[in-house]
Amino acid sequence: METGGGGLNAAAAAIGMESIPDGLRIAEEETPSTGSSQSQINHNNNRVCGYIDCGVHITCFSEVSDNGTLHFQIIRLHKQIYAWIGCNSAKFGHLYAAAPTRPNNTVSVTSLLGGASDNTGSGIARRLALKTGLNADAEKKLVQKLINLGYTRPKSDGTSP
Amino acid sequence: MDSSLSGQAFPVRHKNLSVDIKGHKTDIILCSYDDHFLVIATQIGSMGTILHARKEEGVSIHPTFNVSVVFGKRDEPMLVACARQLIEHMSNSGSSRPLVLALGLRDHSVVQSQ
Repeated sequence: METGGGGLNAAAAAIGMESIPDGLRIAEEETPSTGSSQSQINHNNNRVCGYIDCGVHITCFSEVSDNGTLHFQIIRLHKQIYAWIGCNSAKFGHLYAAAPTRPNNTVSVTSLLGGASDNTGSGIARRLALKTGLNADAEKKLVQKLINLGYTRPKSDGTSP
Repeated sequence: MDSSLSGQAFPVRHKNLSVDIKGHKTDIILCSYDDHFLVIATQIGSMGTILHARKEEGVSIHPTFNVSVVFGKRDEPMLVACARQLIEHMSNSGSSRPLVLALGLRDHSVVQSQ
């Protein structure tokens, strides 16, 4: 994770994905959410529901690492995932979109706000869309959380796409 | 050693709700970052068209705003108008933070308020 004057302190990525299979059970997890009221007509809170088709799921968590405090926010929509990472920061950062594209489902990534196609954020977005990861601390934690929440495809034969 | 932070407030506040609009279930998510607001309103299960709206720096007493589509439909002027209205309301409420607005709507027609 880049830090410093010219580095990226926060990154957000919108990740397109296939529809999640119905009936896939997610481990129930309560996420800390402070400062948000819950006045809703249909109640959708931060608790991950037991089944996929419960609507919007928001997962927020923070972890201390060697680089400082990492903040993660995952918003799961029915056909898309939005993920935000902040490193010692709650700034929005740069926004990227990544998704499999035709003809052979190669993942393409584009910068939507700020950023470029060759820096940390775009790489994370692309690899999240591929559902593989490198050893970067923040990305590793985010990928692990996505696996725990059941948002990733199961590995096939262990070879990376 | 890595450790989870329990008991500390998450730095990004958010609120989410679900409403019915003309028979379509609409999920609305509001997030407050230090330097941006993110608003998602979707009926289609994805973020849809993403717009960026910000107040422009200037010395005029009448603020001006810049709205652009950064992803999705660029031929739906009502989406831009929606972002423009929201950023002006936010500015009038005292906030100068830019807005990232994601609209995934089934119907882009304007509904006259009763």
